[in-house]
Amino acid sequence: MSALSPALEIRLLVGREMRRCVRSAKGIALGLVTLLGAVVTSLLVTSIEGVDRSMAGGSTEQFMELKRQAIEHQTGNAALAAQAANMPVSLKAFLEVTVWLSPLLIALLGFDAVSGELQHRTVRFWTVRTRRSTYFVAKLLGLWGLVALVALAINAIAGGVALSKGYVTGGELLSWGLRFWLVAVVIAGAWAAIAIFISSCFRTPVVALLTTFATFFVLWVIGFLFANISRAQTMLQSQALDVRMRWYEYLYPNAYESMLLSDEPHRPLLGAAILLGFVACMAAAGSMLFARRDV
Amino acid sequence: MQPQGSAATRTESVAERDTAGRHPSGAASRKHADAAIHLRRLTKRFGTKTAVDDVTLTIDVGSVYGLIGPNGAGKTTTFSMMSGYLRPSEGSVDVLGRSPTDVDGLRSRIGVLPQDAILPATERVGDLLVHLARLQEIPSSKAIELARRALADVQGEDWWNQRCGSLSHGMAKRVALAQSFLGDPEVVLLDEPTAGLDPRVAWEMRQLIVAKKGRCTIVISSHNLQELEEVCDGAAVLDRGRVIASGTMAELTAANEEVHIRVGRGTRRGSQSGQLNLAQVRELPMVKAADFDEEELLLVVHFERKQADAETVIAHVLWLLLNNQVRISGVTKGRGLEQRVMDLT
Repeated sequence: MSALSPALEIRLLVGREMRRCVRSAKGIALGLVTLLGAVVTSLLVTSIEGVDRSMAGGSTEQFMELKRQAIEHQTGNAALAAQAANMPVSLKAFLEVTVWLSPLLIALLGFDAVSGELQHRTVRFWTVRTRRSTYFVAKLLGLWGLVALVALAINAIAGGVALSKGYVTGGELLSWGLRFWLVAVVIAGAWAAIAIFISSCFRTPVVALLTTFATFFVLWVIGFLFANISRAQTMLQSQALDVRMRWYEYLYPNAYESMLLSDEPHRPLLGAAILLGFVACMAAAGSMLFARRDV
Repeated sequence: MQPQGSAATRTESVAERDTAGRHPSGAASRKHADAAIHLRRLTKRFGTKTAVDDVTLTIDVGSVYGLIGPNGAGKTTTFSMMSGYLRPSEGSVDVLGRSPTDVDGLRSRIGVLPQDAILPATERVGDLLVHLARLQEIPSSKAIELARRALADVQGEDWWNQRCGSLSHGMAKRVALAQSFLGDPEVVLLDEPTAGLDPRVAWEMRQLIVAKKGRCTIVISSHNLQELEEVCDGAAVLDRGRVIASGTMAELTAANEEVHIRVGRGTRRGSQSGQLNLAQVRELPMVKAADFDEEELLLVVHFERKQADAETVIAHVLWLLLNNQVRISGVTKGRGLEQRVMDLT
């Protein structure tokens, strides 16, 4: 009887999966574009922050107060505004960029992760050596891990630029940078789970790609609509819509960002638990379906 | 065909089935303690199409067994169910007493060469083989050594650092063959192992399979009947999803029951010098019947296998023919697998 544990099996498979992504022409191209984009955007964001700071009179306190007022005006939420005003602008901007870009990156990296190997039957070299469930989970973790590394690289570049301009201190960079990165990673996990699940359902990668984009788009539309409805209700103090409808916003993984960044201790934990629970459910369902299918 | 066991294979011959090709229930339920692979009433349907229909086979430990049949016969589907790629619609498959999907029980005990699976293009041959070896529970230090050895077995030592995507079809096939023998598994399933290889490499691959004979159970699905006849101990002939004949290679080719002697051009039946005296051949004590086709220039001698083996019959018949100045152009035991399959399908 075999003694190779699922954990070791997953470790071997994840290593292979990440190497595969990094070595493929698609992976190299996407990585370069992402990092180049990160450098250009970080320079852009920090220069905008520089202009804002000079408009605020050059004082960090004045700049933060202006920021707080602007956010409170926009959201109507004083607590949120006070919290957001403390966040380093450049790093926060990069969190937004990462959270927005990661679904795109995940769709492009993940659509053929399983479907490509099903199409060419490459998967057959693995199914006699690995449990189908670990194969699926490793594909998910490999993609998630890769996106986490890309997010880390983006945050490091942004942090480096902001640090060099003196907009953040080393301490802020470590604390906020790490926190923003973790938020981006947790959210990326949900997108990665959806992408790998879809990829394992199709033999034709282009069908998997289109389905992934369609699903992501539908989720974005749901998130966008219900977030704005919710925001409008808050600002107008209206009860026109059923309050339960605002929870539909949370079908969109990026909607958890504010929850994960909240200063209230239970909200980040709840947000992370929901997202990681979703990842676990998708992994379980995907593994089960993949184990039952013909390859 | 009479059922006949052999040391290497124990296949269930045509005689064991009823006219519909189904097994008597007693045969199906008997124990297969020394079976490497046992297919029990295996059926696979794709929608309304039945690709494999009620196939029952037993392949003994240590044998080399062929799956034969025309395109669409169900060979690859049967093979895929043995490998765990496809799930049977009905029936069951046991490989070393386990379901082929029981990876924990079969890991490192089974090696598979899938017919049309493409190697991952971006990976280096060496890295891939080491990775696959590691998944077979081979420690990393030993994995490199075994991977190099497996690659050397297919004459691919120089490809270690090459990316799989840059390999030619023949090279990729040999790498795929190398991974199937990685770590010396107990059962190796090979789907069209020499398809697309040039004759020399195909010959080398056959030698590799022959060299593994006796050290593991090998199942080969192939169109190349000459190859199967050369390396296999037994085979099953499939047609339209059903087993239409199976047995040892000698049973299938009737090698223990008849010999074929091809004579020189212009040879006619008769008793004079240079002519083929059929009566004399028929008078040989071990000969049951003999026929000579003057158009094909083929003498077919049926014999009683309990009285003599094929070599003895050949010696006696050739003695008679040569004494009569008949020119001989070829001798074969039995009909040859190709002819047998042509007759059946």
